[in-house]
Amino acid sequence: MELNINGKPVQVEADPAMPLLWVLRDTLNMTGTKFGCGIAACGACTVHIGGEAVRSCVLPVSAVAGKPIRTIESLGTADKPHALQAAWIAEQVPQCGYCQSGMLMAAAALLESKPKPTDADIDAAMSNICRCGTYQRVRAAIHRAAGNPTTTTGVAA
Amino acid sequence: MKRRTWILSALGATGALVVGWGVLPARSRLGTPDMMLPTQGDVALNGWIKIAADGSVVMAMPRAEMGQGVYTALAMLVAEELDVPLARVRLEQAGPHAVYGNVSMFVGSLPFHPLDTEEGHKTTTVKVGEWLVGKVARELGISVTGGSSTMADAWDPLRMAAATARASLLGAAAAQWKLPVAELRVQDGVVSHASGPSAHYGTFAQAAAGTTPGNVVVKDRKDWTLIGKSAPRSDIPAKTNGTAQFGLDVRLPGMLYAKVRMAPMLGGTMGSLDTKAALAAPGVDQVLPLESFAGSTAGFAVVGKTTWHARQGADAVLVTWQQRAAGALDTQVIEAKLLEALNAEDGFVFYEKGSAAKAESGAARVVEAIYRAPYLAHATMEPMNCTAQVKDGRVEVWAPTQVPDMARAIAAKVAGVPEDKVTLHTTLLGGGFGRRLEVDHVGQAVRVAMSCNGKPVQLGWSREQDTTHDFYRPMHVASLHAAVDAQGAITSLRIKSAGDAITPRWFARGLPALSGPVDTPDKTAAEGLFDLPYGFANQHMAHVATRMDVPVGFWRSVGHSHNAFFSEGFMDELAAETKQDPLAFRRALLKDAPRYLAVLNLAAEKAKWGSPLPAGRARGIALHESFGSIVAEVAEVSLQDGKPRVHRVVCAVDCGTVINPNTVAQQMESAVIFALTAALYGRIDIKDGAVQQSNFGDYPMVQLAQAPVVETWIVPSTRAPAGVGEPGVPPLAPAVANALFALTGKRQRALPLAV
Repeated sequence: MELNINGKPVQVEADPAMPLLWVLRDTLNMTGTKFGCGIAACGACTVHIGGEAVRSCVLPVSAVAGKPIRTIESLGTADKPHALQAAWIAEQVPQCGYCQSGMLMAAAALLESKPKPTDADIDAAMSNICRCGTYQRVRAAIHRAAGNPTTTTGVAA
Repeated sequence: MKRRTWILSALGATGALVVGWGVLPARSRLGTPDMMLPTQGDVALNGWIKIAADGSVVMAMPRAEMGQGVYTALAMLVAEELDVPLARVRLEQAGPHAVYGNVSMFVGSLPFHPLDTEEGHKTTTVKVGEWLVGKVARELGISVTGGSSTMADAWDPLRMAAATARASLLGAAAAQWKLPVAELRVQDGVVSHASGPSAHYGTFAQAAAGTTPGNVVVKDRKDWTLIGKSAPRSDIPAKTNGTAQFGLDVRLPGMLYAKVRMAPMLGGTMGSLDTKAALAAPGVDQVLPLESFAGSTAGFAVVGKTTWHARQGADAVLVTWQQRAAGALDTQVIEAKLLEALNAEDGFVFYEKGSAAKAESGAARVVEAIYRAPYLAHATMEPMNCTAQVKDGRVEVWAPTQVPDMARAIAAKVAGVPEDKVTLHTTLLGGGFGRRLEVDHVGQAVRVAMSCNGKPVQLGWSREQDTTHDFYRPMHVASLHAAVDAQGAITSLRIKSAGDAITPRWFARGLPALSGPVDTPDKTAAEGLFDLPYGFANQHMAHVATRMDVPVGFWRSVGHSHNAFFSEGFMDELAAETKQDPLAFRRALLKDAPRYLAVLNLAAEKAKWGSPLPAGRARGIALHESFGSIVAEVAEVSLQDGKPRVHRVVCAVDCGTVINPNTVAQQMESAVIFALTAALYGRIDIKDGAVQQSNFGDYPMVQLAQAPVVETWIVPSTRAPAGVGEPGVPPLAPAVANALFALTGKRQRALPLAV
């Protein structure tokens, strides 16, 4: 079947029931999207389908044939980082980093629908699990990327 | 067992070791150039430092990056001593050499009271014990990322290695230019002299190699330009664009994927195995039984062309499981047994001061309480996994591991090859928290790879297997007694806890050669109870080590994680019992522990302890030392829909000299969230031998919307660096529990907290 990943057509041979996550990771070796729970509970596998944040671990690949799929690999580049990626670096968000691809994709979808999210918007949209507890920096980085005034995280002086 | 006898046996670990270490010379940790990878154009100057042709620096990285920031913090030490920009230091994974072994972690496992180990106050016993264990640990040279010890361990040897390299390079420059070495200066890796000559380190690397500089001293702290200033972490950019490589991201040509199913009953075995349907499923290669590896429960693996195919195959296998011969494990039964052990046994006395018994018999009244903490899983975001290839008598392993030497050892053992035939690559770790101090999954991966005809195979666990087959934080119960005299003063504190000891089991499954026939008392079980800073005249602290057979392991901050809840919860009770403010009560008991007092005061001041709060909110405070660092936390808590909601945590920390302040703040924030998850939700129940929780639905985590604001305040210090990754965990649960008491009047004596 033909998939549209990060703006490019990609031919894959896959069982229609195979979740998109495993097509990305194991068939196409696009490992930026992570496996965390397999039941759409943690959000590590978040990608965009038609601009919406979707958890790809329970999404059969047949359901997304022909739809635009966007993964962390196309969020930005090292030379031209997405505003969120720049904010993530400025706020020093990641620790172990494993959940951060999903966090960023969830945040990117949020900013596309709400360019100036409130704290309540962030609370509602960001249900991804981070075991390192980077949450307050995630919040600060989203505000920073959105151009909202924010208090920077880190050591209180 | 007598305490002295135990210390000697703990130091020796085994008879063989006792015979061996006495005759070996003290070994320097500088290492030799041949320990580093021979790479084209680079010149190694010792076991830690290579100089590249362009003058940049390569350092041997002996520890794993699991989020705690060591890739950056250790590189900062090297950049500081060599006067090169941080970005000019690259990392190379350290090889299997003893100089990279962790000495500080083993020295830290000695059961000394922290007030006896303060510099300038060390008793002879402490000095001798630390010297002996340090010597043994150097001989063993086991590389471990754990015990919050990376910086404490690297502090002297790594700075000395970099300073030695610098001295050799300057010596070579001086010889080449025929100028006095004392007149040379270095900036950004460029050596220069006021008379004009200037060249980067790469120019002198060949000449410097093999030279032995004389008296090398590390930089004075007044000359530091990097240490103590927040530096951006080098691993972060790759973690924002999907290119960071974790264990599960290893991709090799022709690689197969394996999924595992283990007996649901811990310690259970496989009865019958019907693989027909699985093998008929598309993309499935083979099904093979798995025995127990390093403490794992037996089961089977299914190999397929993708994770999905292997998973489908694993689901299609028809299997019957058998309960372990000793009978099914059950946490309700275990808790009852622990409470019984608490009554029936005296336990090993880790600390004794005065006579608590005498104080109690003469007391006006005795305050007592029973505290409880459940089993807990680690739940790293990246489930257990390992990639292995067994080919032509060699084994290659890619593992997100905290214990590369143990991973190498089990790979060699399983494959039946000498350890020097094993190549280990440590990937980034998607969380560790102590779970990756285990090598069960490494053994499984190598076993599966052996039947894959030389092809590499990536073995990965499902979240459900990960939750149900962990090495759990052991359940503990504790009884606490305090004598109150007629004037209302507390005259004694007596604590006894009961639960499984971790360290003997860990040695037995991972380093069997160091495992003795008798369990020695385990400091990690009693830490946080026997080592309190409070000046009670009479103290008696004991631990009853049990054997409940649930696989137990090190969980971020280990014994401190539950013991601080017991001790600091009880301290709050004693304050209330004697009608004192919890802060004032603690302050009065810290006259001989000024560092503790300073941390407590800082947290209280920044949290505005005692100032009015909005209606429905209350504060709780807790203070705890672990891994050489003292942390106090003040939590602001309310009830929302009848459930605790933590709004803000003010955290003060004295962790000695700070390398990267931003990392310290990150770790305090991380520890608060990690500990809050455990305090609010964490419990592992076992019934009919099987763990009842399996995924984030029934083993929930704190999410962003429930996350408190965490403020970190650092106490300036010139002491050597101490731990940072774990010490923020222990005070959180008691701080929240104490706030809940202030809010509701109901005492919280069990985890998870229940209002």
